[in-house]
Amino acid sequence: MKFFFHVGQYFTLLKKVFGRPEKLRLYVRQLFHEIDTLGVNSVWIVIIISIFIGGIMTIQFAYSMSNPIYPTTLVGLGTRDTLILEFSSTMLALIMAGKIGSNITSEIGTMRVTEQIDSLEIMGVNSASYLILPKIVAVVFIFPFLFIISVFFGLLGGLVTGPIAGVISIPDYIEGIQWLFYPYYITFSLIKSVVFGFLVASVPAYFGYYVKGGSLEVGKASTTAVVNTNILILFFDLILTRLLLT
Amino acid sequence: MIEVKNIYKSFDGANVLKDISNRFEQGKTNLIIGRSGSGKTVLLKSILGLYDIDQGEIWYDNREFVKMHHKERKKLRREIGMVFQGGALFDSLSVEANIRFPLDMFTHQSPVEKKKRVEFCLEHVNIEKSAFKLFPSEISGGMQKRVAIARAIALNPKYLFCDEPNSGLDPETATIIDQLIQHLTREFEMTTIINTHDMNSVIEIGESVLFIAKGEVAWTGSNKEILETRNKKLNDFIFANKLYAQLREEKN
Repeated sequence: MKFFFHVGQYFTLLKKVFGRPEKLRLYVRQLFHEIDTLGVNSVWIVIIISIFIGGIMTIQFAYSMSNPIYPTTLVGLGTRDTLILEFSSTMLALIMAGKIGSNITSEIGTMRVTEQIDSLEIMGVNSASYLILPKIVAVVFIFPFLFIISVFFGLLGGLVTGPIAGVISIPDYIEGIQWLFYPYYITFSLIKSVVFGFLVASVPAYFGYYVKGGSLEVGKASTTAVVNTNILILFFDLILTRLLLT
Repeated sequence: MIEVKNIYKSFDGANVLKDISNRFEQGKTNLIIGRSGSGKTVLLKSILGLYDIDQGEIWYDNREFVKMHHKERKKLRREIGMVFQGGALFDSLSVEANIRFPLDMFTHQSPVEKKKRVEFCLEHVNIEKSAFKLFPSEISGGMQKRVAIARAIALNPKYLFCDEPNSGLDPETATIIDQLIQHLTREFEMTTIINTHDMNSVIEIGESVLFIAKGEVAWTGSNKEILETRNKKLNDFIFANKLYAQLREEKN
């Protein structure tokens, strides 16, 4: 019953979020602020994680394909496809759920417990829309870019690490990452990025918006939000893979 | 003027407000007093529409709030200023930006006009220019309350609500805040409702007092009458503080 209550309340909140903005100019200003806070500030962590994961995957692929019957180009292909299909979309979304999601829950939750949201409501501002809509738009907008950045730096990580570790040569790796390339994989992962971006912003916002109590409850809500967002990301990953890839 | 008629409100079957009726006069500081848990915050939030009441009527001058359409309520809210117990200033905005927020949101004033209005409001609550650019976390509790009052009056409201405006403040600052609210109420002819359990505020600015006990109206009157009352519940509330008991003895 609690599950259905939360689902109902989540969609009720979304209806409020997508209500007509009071003053579009202020929302746009807020949107740029959120793009900077939630998106641009995440670029460095995305780059660092992607370089390391790209490098690690290249070494692991090389290790598991050490049998001479496999062409070495498979290492580049494996790294590329894993990055595009799963890591840079799904795994990155899980990581971002921790970083961005907890940030959103704690920010909105703190505003709730310190009556800042009540203050907006009394002024006649649609607090849900003003606080949540710019975050959703910002994250949905920035996620595809983070995906592209992640794929690029992941491949770069493999390119640097593979030859240094002595598991693959640069020409073999470059040939591998171009081998049997299906552009549809990019489209598929961009669609996933948009869906995951929506979940990463809206689910934590929901848990923050309805938090009750004090700072302890805000902390608990952040944890609950991240856990639930992760589960939903994996669930939608399964659904989208089944619908769009098979 | 705000009038409430026969208000009932319950939470999970527990009656928190029972048949509350009262008139809050314009140009006066109207106080709602009572012990913690007596229902005064629920009453204040019900009048503001943050809680939906089970039964009764709420009148803002000649406008019935309960039956109002959502859009009309939003419009009315622009005539309301609210000072929360903790100030509820927006952490991410400077003092100046906090006051400008309602102006940005609801007016079409030019940047110069907004700047003038912000300065006017902040000067009225005695905030120095050097504090305009500071953030709420960088100013004292008393200053935060004054900024909250400045934000509440930014749109020139007809109705001002204050939820325990001087809680957590030292007696001197608390008196300054009380006097400031009374001064603004008279100057701008607002209908002001203040929620408090501070007896100093009652004596200082309680032009009209509504005493609530266990969710019911137990007494109404003014600060001039309050020390003379023979109402047992009110006496228990007031004279829990020995200073006031002594004051009455001296008076008698």
